[in-house]
Order: sequence, then C-alpha cells, then structure tokens
Amino acid sequence: MALIDLKGINKTYDNGQPLHVLKGIDLSIGRGEFVSIMGASGSGKSTLLNILGILDNYDSGSYHLDGTLIKDLTEKQAADYRNRMIGFIFQSFNLIGFKTAVENVELPLYYQGVARKKRHDLAMEYLDKMGLTAWAHHFPNEMSGGQKQRVAIARALITRPRIILADEPTGALDSKTSVEVMGLLKQLNKEDGITIIVVTHEGGVANETDKIIHIKDGMIGEIEENTRHDAWGGSIIK
Amino acid sequence: MKLRFDTDTFREILDSLLRNKSRSFLTGFGVFWGVFMLMLLSGGGRGFKQMLNNEFEGFAHNTCILFANQTSKPYKGFKEGRFWEMTYDDVDRLKNLMPELETVSPTVALWGKSVVRGDVVSSRAVVKGTRADYALIETPKLKYGRYISDTDNAQERKVCVIGKRVYNELFPEGGDPCGQRIRIDGAYYSVIGVSWNEGGGININGNAADMVIIPINQARKAYNLGNTIQLLCFTAKEGFVMSDLIPRVREIISRAHYVDPTDEQALFLLNTQLIFGIVDNLFKGVNFIIWLIGLGTLLAGVVGVSNIMMVSVRERTTEIGIRRAIGATPRQILGQIISESIVLTLVAGMSGIVFSVLILYGVELATMEDGILKAAFQVPFWTAVLAASLLAILGVVAGLMPAVRAMQIKPVDAMRDE
Repeated sequence: MALIDLKGINKTYDNGQPLHVLKGIDLSIGRGEFVSIMGASGSGKSTLLNILGILDNYDSGSYHLDGTLIKDLTEKQAADYRNRMIGFIFQSFNLIGFKTAVENVELPLYYQGVARKKRHDLAMEYLDKMGLTAWAHHFPNEMSGGQKQRVAIARALITRPRIILADEPTGALDSKTSVEVMGLLKQLNKEDGITIIVVTHEGGVANETDKIIHIKDGMIGEIEENTRHDAWGGSIIK
Repeated sequence: MKLRFDTDTFREILDSLLRNKSRSFLTGFGVFWGVFMLMLLSGGGRGFKQMLNNEFEGFAHNTCILFANQTSKPYKGFKEGRFWEMTYDDVDRLKNLMPELETVSPTVALWGKSVVRGDVVSSRAVVKGTRADYALIETPKLKYGRYISDTDNAQERKVCVIGKRVYNELFPEGGDPCGQRIRIDGAYYSVIGVSWNEGGGININGNAADMVIIPINQARKAYNLGNTIQLLCFTAKEGFVMSDLIPRVREIISRAHYVDPTDEQALFLLNTQLIFGIVDNLFKGVNFIIWLIGLGTLLAGVVGVSNIMMVSVRERTTEIGIRRAIGATPRQILGQIISESIVLTLVAGMSGIVFSVLILYGVELATMEDGILKAAFQVPFWTAVLAASLLAILGVVAGLMPAVRAMQIKPVDAMRDE
C-alpha cells in the first residue's frame, strides 16, 4: 500500500451556506516521493492539506497514512499522530516568538516526553544539518526569513515523521531564499528519502518537485510526472 | 493525563508568565493584596484579642466574685437599707453545700497603706489578705519567690508578696528582695515573693501592682477584722456553667444572713464568664468581618487573574495552534494554562503571606515590652498552610475557564491567524 492513500474524500463546510470543498478525492502517494499540490486559491488545496495533516476531519471516504486509517480520531490520538507521523512547514514559519531556535526545534519532542538532554542534543544535531548551529540560541525575530524557515524545517524533521507537509513554504521568502529552501527540501528527499508534499500556487516551486498534482474545484485534475523538472519551462522560481 | 512537573514544564510556565512581566505583575498584585489583607487583618485581630485577654490575664475564666452591699428589699422583719457583711463561715457553707464549686476563697483588703523599707516609703498600697487557694482564682505571675501557703495562713506568719509598683518603689536597685523586711502599720513582714501581675481589665481589691498580699488570718488579726470577709471568690468545676449555679449560691448566702435571695443589690455578684463571653462574641464578629473582607478582596483578585488569562489565551491563539499542530494534546494545553494560573496565583499569594508575616513581625517587635512578647500577632503556621492550599485551589478555578477556551483552539486556527 502506498504511504498515503485517499479514497473518495468529501468535505463540506457549513458556515450558514453549505460549501462542498472536496468532491471525492482519490490520491495515493508513495514512500519517498516529492510531490507538489497545485491549485488556485479556493480550489480546496488547503483543505486537502489540512486533512492530510490530520488538522481537519473529512465527511466521507477513507484516508490511510502508512497503513493506519485516519478517521474519527479523538483529539488526543490526532495530536499523537500529528506529532509522530507528520512534520509541518508553514508559510509564515509559525515559530514561537519567545523561544530560541533550539527550543522551537525541541518542542515536538517535549510533547513526546523526551528527556531534556536528549531533546537538546537532537535539536542541535538537526540545526547543524540546517547549518544553523551558530543561531541556535537566537530568537526568531533575530533571524532572516530563510533562517526561520530552516528552523521550521528542523522542527518538522526532528520527530522523524513519515511525511513532511509544506504549506507554501516559500510564500514569505524572496526568490533567492526560495531557491535555497526548495533545494534543501529536494536534498532531504534525495539523500534521506523523506516523503515531502508541498502545497503551492507557484509554478516555479512546483517545478522543483518530481510530481505535480493539480487540484481544481475540489477535484484532482492532471497529475504530471516531472522528473525532468521542465514543467514550467525550466526550474526557475518566480 | 500525565501532568509532568519537571523543570521543563516549569520553564514553559515561567516563559509565558515572564513574557508579559508588567501584566503578570499587576494581575498578581490583586491576589497579593487579597492575601496580604486577609493575613494581616486576621493576625492583627488575633493580636488585639490577645492584648485584650492580657488585661484579664491570670483570671480563671469561670470565676465569680461576691460582695455584700446595702439591702434594697425588706426581708424577715428587717427593713430595706440594712448593711450586712459576709463572714468566714460562708466559705465553708458554700464549699459544703455546693459540690459543683472548685475553689472558694475569701479576701479582705485595706486600702491606702504606706509600706516602708528603711527610709523608703511606698504609699497608696493595698494590703490584701488571701489564702493559698486564691492563686487558683487570680494566677500570680511571680517574678521572685513564692505565693502565700496554707502554712503561712495557719501559723499567721508575717510574710507578704508584693506587687510590681511596690517592689519598684521599695527596691529601686532591683534584685531578689525575698527575706527582706518591710513595715506596714508598725508591723514587720518578710517579703517572700514578688508578683508581676498588672492592673488591667479586672481588678479585685484594686490594682495588682499596688498589692501587698499577706495571709488572710494575719490580716484579720492585725486589723481586727473579726470574722468578716469582704469578697468571696469562687470557680466552678469543669463542665458546670456558672450562671446555672448562681441562683443557689445566692440562696445559700442570702438565707444565712437574713437577706432576700431575690435582692440582687444586697449580694452583688460579678460573673467573669459573662464578661469573657461578651469579649469572645465581639471577636467572633470581628473575625467574621475580617474573613469577609479578606476573602472578598482575594476573590476579586482571582477574578482578575481569570480575566487576564482569558485575554492572554486569546492573544496566544496562534502559539497554541502551533503547539497543537506539532503534537500537543488538548489536555497538555489545558494543563499548561491551569499551571500558569496556579503559579501566578501561588507566587502572588505566597508573597502576600510572606509580606504580611514580615509586617506582623514588625508589629510584634513594636508592641514588645521589656523584651517580653505581649501578644502574638503572627499568623499561625497552619493558617498560612491553609491559605496556601486555598490559593492553589483558587488558581485552578481561575485558570479553568481560560484553559477550556484554550483547549478549543484548533491547530488550523494558527494558520488562519496570519
């Protein structure tokens, strides 16, 4: 079975007027894939990401993550799965402002109950991997956007998750930094074999990935194989 | 739920609280002030009660004192307005007929006496004749020596226990005066003790500091008092209420002297139990008000904490959302907010306790006399412990509503709030 297996996922928001956002999504993503989900705003890609990240429920269908059915979970179970199986990278980094870089990276392990020393060592190791050892004890507001996003990546990686979900990871970055960050994700995918799903509306970003899944009006459109990275006329971001 | 209380949990809590120092401080101040007021007032109340009790110090709380007065009612052929006196026989009469009574002790007193030692004179002293058992009515605080004994009385010894003022005037050099002789009305008495009692709320036969206490038999002989006594003091045995016994005491004494038992003026009676009861009730009322005010202030402080925590949770929606997204369970969030509330309340409250203890200590130092503590203003240890545990509970209560709200924050809220 694929790592991620979605079958007939439906999701309707009911804020006064029912809004059918996802209309029967079937999708499977294998281990070690580097995938992007593309779509215009309102296409349902954020909702799909929320469901993939166990941040939101779906109404019907089934979602298997690494063989585990993710459905009707209690808050505690959902938190536990999120913590162990999924690493998040957000557009706005979402680092906690009053914690240093290393403390931010440690946080997922804190919620796992890992001992302080071990946690700290591991966090330092991941920061080192991101080339941020010197910045370990700086606060987020003392760092550049690229550095912040690298801290966020370290935080996403530290629990050794099954998948990394990146929601517009370059949305708040300039083009040079965007290239760096995408390069980093690509490297993680190639060298460490980590499954990465990037949600974006930028073609250049999507082009960095090996497979582009187009989503339109709540349905899966075209799925492009992009191993040669020439989908948008070469690998130029922006 | 596993609420881990290690250094990590603590750092998380401290981080959040110290992030907004002035707000945490001001919020905590409400609780601080509540606890401070509560502790200070209750300690102060205790202290004043003790000070008042000091005034009555040495008096058995169930003492009753009788003395004879002009009659106000005619009885058995006697006209009203007759003068009469109690006699030494009344002591045995009461003792024999009323087994409920513990101690029955007579006294006589002679006022305005001059006490002489060498060429030093202490005037306006009161010579008071008592028996050894009088010590059970008014406990002597002996600075030196001993009290009158039964043998002193039986052998009509010329010995005396002198009061504080008399001692200070006759022995300005200080030191133990026992064995020295002083003269009263031409008779010499050996000093056997110095009583350090002071006149206060209750004086029997005048101020205790002015007393020269001698054996009653010696007083009766020296001053030709015959069989008469002036005061009859008695205490009830454990478990008897004095006011229940009083009618029978009146009956016994009045009938023996042909006085109308219903004549309350003729046999005047002072029941200290009644006075102590009034004082007790007064302080019960004062205490009630203290707790009402203190708890009210404390409660207002706690409501403040709850309010601010609510604001803080709202502000931290993104942070809490992030925490939830990376794997914090709702209970961990609940635990964190409640812990923050407990820590804030406890730290503020503890400072209140500590501060009030310091102030009360200062008050104790200020009211100290001759290095002797006059009244304990200090908050008792267990009250402080009780207050601390109450604070912890209040902390939980204050944190509950904000924590429940924090728990409802979904991880997606973090992303939405950009």
